[in-house]
Amino acid sequence: MEYSFSKDDLAKIDEIKSRYPEVMPATLPVLWLAQDKFGHVNEEVQKLVAETLDLPVSHVHGVAEFYTQYYKKEMGKFVLDVCTCLSCHIGGGYDILKHLEKTLGIKAGGTTNDGLFSLQEVECLGACGYAPMMQINNDVFVNHLTPEKTDQVVEGLRKGKYPEFESIAMPLNPNTSASKETV
Amino acid sequence: MAEIIIDGITYEFEGQHKLLQFILDQGKEVPFFCYHPSMSAPANCRQCMVKVGQYVKDRETGAYQLDDQGNREVRWFPKLQTSCTLDMTDGMVVHTQETDTLVQRAQKDTLEFILINHPLDCPICDQAGECPLQIQTYKYGPEGSRFEVKKVHKPKRIELGPRVILDAERCINCTRCVRFTDEISKTNQLTITRRGDKNYPITAPGEVFDDPYSMNTVDICPVGALTAADFRFKARVWEMNQTPGLDITNGKGVNVDLWTRDNLVLRITPRFNPDVNDHWMADQGRDVYRLYNENRVSRPSIRLEDTKGSMDDGVAQVKTSWTNALDTLAEVLHENKASTILTIGSPYASVEENYALQKFSSLKGLPSPFFTPHILEGSGDGFLLTDDQAPNTEGCRLLGLEEIDTEEYKKRIKGASVVLMLNDDPIGRDILKASDFKKPFVVVFATNHTDTAKAADLLIPTTCAAEHTASYVNVEGRIQRTFPAKETRYTNRRLDLEMSEGRLDRYGTTFDNWVTEENRIDCKPTWVSLSELSQRLGIPFSFEHARELVAELSSQHPAFEGISFEKMDEERGILLRRAELTT
Ligand code: SF4
Ligand code: FES
Repeated sequence: MEYSFSKDDLAKIDEIKSRYPEVMPATLPVLWLAQDKFGHVNEEVQKLVAETLDLPVSHVHGVAEFYTQYYKKEMGKFVLDVCTCLSCHIGGGYDILKHLEKTLGIKAGGTTNDGLFSLQEVECLGACGYAPMMQINNDVFVNHLTPEKTDQVVEGLRKGKYPEFESIAMPLNPNTSASKETV
Repeated sequence: MAEIIIDGITYEFEGQHKLLQFILDQGKEVPFFCYHPSMSAPANCRQCMVKVGQYVKDRETGAYQLDDQGNREVRWFPKLQTSCTLDMTDGMVVHTQETDTLVQRAQKDTLEFILINHPLDCPICDQAGECPLQIQTYKYGPEGSRFEVKKVHKPKRIELGPRVILDAERCINCTRCVRFTDEISKTNQLTITRRGDKNYPITAPGEVFDDPYSMNTVDICPVGALTAADFRFKARVWEMNQTPGLDITNGKGVNVDLWTRDNLVLRITPRFNPDVNDHWMADQGRDVYRLYNENRVSRPSIRLEDTKGSMDDGVAQVKTSWTNALDTLAEVLHENKASTILTIGSPYASVEENYALQKFSSLKGLPSPFFTPHILEGSGDGFLLTDDQAPNTEGCRLLGLEEIDTEEYKKRIKGASVVLMLNDDPIGRDILKASDFKKPFVVVFATNHTDTAKAADLLIPTTCAAEHTASYVNVEGRIQRTFPAKETRYTNRRLDLEMSEGRLDRYGTTFDNWVTEENRIDCKPTWVSLSELSQRLGIPFSFEHARELVAELSSQHPAFEGISFEKMDEERGILLRRAELTT
């Protein structure tokens, strides 16, 4: 597949570039733009981004590889990022990951044959207070995961339904009910 | 003047300094990995931690506040600081690991972290013996590891490029190699991929690390993660000698170290010279170790009559004794008319060799020597590669050798009866063809069996830049000198004080299986051969050591006034005729 930016994209990229004194910081937003457009930033897209920004390919490659949020290959329709970093690990992140591997029949890093789900093991997403958790398509956080809750989420997604946004209050005072329950 | 107190000792300083570099400049030590004096400091290894503070002064009186014991009280920065990035200020108080247990502890714990996923395969690692990680772990690291789980495994034996191999498990992600390609060679070929405990340096997908300076990353990698493709597993560092020398592959005069074992040069690394090459050298200059070891002219050879003007050596040229070779040469010079005898200098030969030839021909009444430079337009890069392919073109010019173009060169050869040529390869350089040697009797003072050497009538083996002390003038007019790194049949490490002695040399005898006599080439410095020849010709020309030639040049030749090897050593080369050369 040939990857290229349209005139509109290029105009947007120019606008992005104008926000920074140098070109290098534009790498992140332009990679986002590319991922939104192509669904991923594989090696060829990384090259396109580098050429468009006139930056070394090695630099764009390094940035794209650093973040699990950038997809380095084509992904399924729903990308499930299960956190296994410290708090989630202690809270059972690996159990959730293993459970998902079993229910979806794929290993972390893989995509189901029907192209519906991709599963990734990721580092801290900044939701340590609600561990274990996962993120879907770089967007919705699903917190306080249990195998049952995970099953529900997967079932919902199969029907095209994203889980609801969960607002979680900060446990400022351990005696208030908000700290114990999600609102 | 501003003052800083480091481990209780007060130092004065002026201007901007980073603390780590200042400490190193004082001959003291703080362990570090990622810092390199010629590159930016990202402070990512965290090894160079020190404790820093400021004396507390009474605001009103300006007097130092004292504690109960009467010592000045210090207000410490809340956290330890990375000394590599810290700007020094007046009145700073610094505690390094030498005086502070907190600093010791921090450095030890950092090392424990760095070593968590490190394979600790020093026994099979090329870097062992010259490895900052190994050395600093011995000095400042923990006794053992508390890490009992499986280490993270990463790719091994990745060919980053034709000359550099990566073992990602050994990498401590200091980013020196990446910064080198970003800031020094400017090819931007490397980056760090992945993150956390899984990261390591790599090229962009499908790209090859073929940077013409790629092997500098091997030198600056503080662990054994990057190794040189053609040196890995060849030798342990402590078996080798390290001898200062010069790069002879172009006109820049890059300072190098020649690493030898058993009289073979095994690798060549850059030697710091801020006025020439800083810490760097091009990959191309490292490959000449082959030239020093292989295909050498050892013991004189002479051509059989009926094969003149052809290049098939081995059959046509037969080895002969030094006596026969020099007797023959004396005879040839005697028999032919002086005006038809050519003496040809060489930008590939040292100042001393060219001067010796110049002096010899004038004493013998031969036409004075000429040379033709070897310039390839466009091969220079404005950094360490020059258009000039030879190490001593400027030296030939300063000596006043006649500089002619290749056409004229060809013409002169045609009309000559005898050609006396210093180490050069006009046939390999496509100036001449072997058939041009049909008529004249060609004598070459050769180091290697080049095309020219193969076509010659008489080969006088001569020492190469790895075997003699001699000086070379680079394109900027800087005269620098080499030291003998390899023994010849006629030199001896124990007797020659300019040679270094490794432990294998010290304890080896001819009968040990790690001593190979054949590695000592049967060759002599050109000036020695010319002296022996002069004896036969009855000419007052006698030089044993380059030092004598330099002394003569220094006192008699205006361009070389006042030079000496000691001065070259002390001043990292001497800039000759600076004014004229820079205009
Ligand atoms: S390969 Fe060596 S120089 Fe490069 S980041 Fe790793 S340790 Fe540093
Ligand atoms: S040398 Fe200072 S942090 Fe690495």
